[in-house]
Amino acid sequence: MLLLIEQVLNGLQFGVMLFLMAAGLTLVFGVMGLINLAHGSLYMIGAFAAAAVAGATGSFLLALAASLAAAAAAGALIEVAVIRRLYDRDHLDQVLATFALILIFSEGTRWAFGSFPLYLDIPAWLSGPVSLPGGIEYSRYRLAIIGVGLAVALGLYLLITRTRLGIRIRAGEADREMIAALGIDISRLYTLVFALGAALAGLAGAMVGAIQSVQVGMGEPVLILAFVVIVIGGIGSVKGALVGAILVGLTDTLGGYLLPIAFGQVMEASSATAIGSALASMLIYILMAVVLILRPTGLYGARA
Amino acid sequence: MAEPVLQVQGITRAFGALVASDNVSLDLREGEIHALIGPNGAGKSTLIALISGALAPDAGQIRFNGRDVTALDTVARARLGLGRSFQISAVVPEFTVLQNVVLAAQGAAGHSYRLFRPALKDRSATSSARAQIARVGLEARAAIPAADLAHGERRRLELAMALALKPKAFLLDEPMAGLGADGTAQMTTLLETLKAEAPILLVEHDMDAVFRLADRISVLDYGRIIATGSVEEIRQDPEVRRAYLGADA
Amino acid sequence: MSRGIAINTAVLALCLAVPVYAHFAGEPFLLTLATRAVILALAAVGLNIALGHGGLISLGHAAFFGIGGYAMGILASHAQTFTPIADWPLLIEGTKSMPVIWLVAMVTSGLAALVIGALSLRTSGVYFIMITLAFGQMLYYFAISWPAYGGEDGLSIYVRNGFPGLNTLVPMQFFALTATVLAAAMALAHVLGRSAFGLALNAARQAPARVEAVGVRPFRLRLTAFVISGMITGLAGALFADLNRFVSPTMFSWQLSGEIMVIVILGGVGRLFGPLAGAALLVTLEHVLGGVSDYWQVYLGALLLGVVLFARGGIIGTLAGRDVAHG
Repeated sequence: MLLLIEQVLNGLQFGVMLFLMAAGLTLVFGVMGLINLAHGSLYMIGAFAAAAVAGATGSFLLALAASLAAAAAAGALIEVAVIRRLYDRDHLDQVLATFALILIFSEGTRWAFGSFPLYLDIPAWLSGPVSLPGGIEYSRYRLAIIGVGLAVALGLYLLITRTRLGIRIRAGEADREMIAALGIDISRLYTLVFALGAALAGLAGAMVGAIQSVQVGMGEPVLILAFVVIVIGGIGSVKGALVGAILVGLTDTLGGYLLPIAFGQVMEASSATAIGSALASMLIYILMAVVLILRPTGLYGARA
Repeated sequence: MAEPVLQVQGITRAFGALVASDNVSLDLREGEIHALIGPNGAGKSTLIALISGALAPDAGQIRFNGRDVTALDTVARARLGLGRSFQISAVVPEFTVLQNVVLAAQGAAGHSYRLFRPALKDRSATSSARAQIARVGLEARAAIPAADLAHGERRRLELAMALALKPKAFLLDEPMAGLGADGTAQMTTLLETLKAEAPILLVEHDMDAVFRLADRISVLDYGRIIATGSVEEIRQDPEVRRAYLGADA
Repeated sequence: MSRGIAINTAVLALCLAVPVYAHFAGEPFLLTLATRAVILALAAVGLNIALGHGGLISLGHAAFFGIGGYAMGILASHAQTFTPIADWPLLIEGTKSMPVIWLVAMVTSGLAALVIGALSLRTSGVYFIMITLAFGQMLYYFAISWPAYGGEDGLSIYVRNGFPGLNTLVPMQFFALTATVLAAAMALAHVLGRSAFGLALNAARQAPARVEAVGVRPFRLRLTAFVISGMITGLAGALFADLNRFVSPTMFSWQLSGEIMVIVILGGVGRLFGPLAGAALLVTLEHVLGGVSDYWQVYLGALLLGVVLFARGGIIGTLAGRDVAHG
């Protein structure tokens, strides 16, 4: 039972991290109508920046700040140099150009940092377990990730509903011409939204980098999971991204934990583990297929 | 008397609080042109979408050629013989005029899943397509991509595609839109000969053309049919004058 | 179009000249590269049917490539260990015969395309891209976590599979075999493109409402195209596995899906010879730039970015000037 609660928390942590990725993607799609495959590269850039700064200064907070800054800067740079030429293009061009950016970023990072993984240490003040009510011991660091993720979700909600920037974002989603007619500098708004999404991805990369290793190619598997999240939640909906991310995080983590146990009831242990984990690896995609059958535009997507 | 080809009975469709079609009933009989008119926003587009199958009604029934088609979608209704043209031309831009009409002819013949034989060597489809192209007077333009046609030519191509379906009824959505005086005159002549083949439900803004062509007219206002009758009856109807012609005249 | 024909002829001549030179100059490695280009071109011919004619931006074609690869790997590994694949309810033995392997590869990848297509085609646009990418990734993780056939390490096949009347161990003969398969696939793509089906499929890409209005379902047209497309890419996967005598989960990777798409784009979407030109260019770049720098993919990325931003018709389109693709 305690193990189950721990797995639920792990799932929550994974989900929250996916949310940070998916939120940027879904905002960029909702406002600019762009599909960005290079979002995983921004995640990677955040992780590398954090690892480099932590290595140089020893400060984890500085490392996090660096991840935000580096990813936002890289985001703003590619938005100005490449992405803004793609808004009027079809999705095929967007896919290819951002695929090209992945190649450039991945190989560039390999050139700069080498092929060996870097490690980012969890700072002392966040390491070790923390005691939760009910006698549960849980990683302090992972709990902090959950906290940061939920705080970002709340922050995004307030940003979109309560601020002038949020009003502009929502106006941009509704109608590009209207926002231009209102005299808002649309290209600055786009750069800002893109950099914001990039910063969130970079933050996610840095925080996960302390649990896993920091290496080239770490971003794309997460990117594809974020796509699954968006398909489930509905394109353009930040709320959908949150719900979808938590669903995917829990499904993946609990499936990986429970399925081998369930198969263990009916067959011998080694093949139960094999079949259980193979099936668990497909579970979130099956979840996605079910959502597609029931609601092709996602849980919170606009209905056609 | 035989059952009308198309019968719309008490069709209602709302979008939120807006009732775009409010208990609409009308019919289309063999050999006639039935015009549907009404001010902008009266619900003509919604009604066309409901009849063609693009929208599902909240209530009511649509019968076509003796069967209840209310639950069928656009494709199934097209197969039963409902030939439509679009308000905004929906021809295939990269295709030539001939390819566009062959597409319609092979669709009607059920040949669209022939994987190997070249489409333009399908005799039955191409000869039928060429005949329809000739009827709308586009023979000289058969090899031109649709994207390069003039607006009026594209409207005629639309019509040729509807003709190639050999439909049991036509649903024509503003075929005169954007045509000049000459084009409108040509189209009017064409539609007059067409109605002998299959009856036409005609949505049209051009009042002169409607009054010249229509055997019957229905007037739509705020989603409801406020009058149905002959040209003379509609001209005289006080409610129509107030709701519609009054604004124009 | 005559300029287009001239360029197609040049592409073809170039692609035939290289293996002939390699054969007589005694450079088997060059022949292996040429075979690799031909097989990748075959995978791209498959994708081009869905992408070029159907407008379906599938970023998950590695799924079919991988299934074809594993069809070969599983059949051949059982044959080389003399263990049946199944003995109940009926006995299924492995095989080292290419025609049988190809058939199994095409049937299984076609079935996968039917399922993935039926689900993905419920949506369109960005959703379709993301969903096909996700299904490809699903098979990737499945291949990694399923231990029976090597899991993450993959499967090695010791001797290349056989084809009646040929010695496939001779590089030139294997090259000729793959080139013949490619030619057949290109002929099929050409015939499909001009058929009634091709006409309707191209119409559904440009004006789906019009296709519905003539009584044809775009969904079914697209699904048919997607299945044919997946089968051809699956066949390419089986040949690719035979070329390397090795299959691994990387055949399912998203990078591979991207690579197949890049080949189609570099060559020119919807063009019959586009996949061949694109694959030849990609393999050449890989070889030449790879010799110059370990980080050659940076240059590939820059080139691709240039093509997308400035040369939208791909190589053949740019060389041939403005003429109509999808012909």
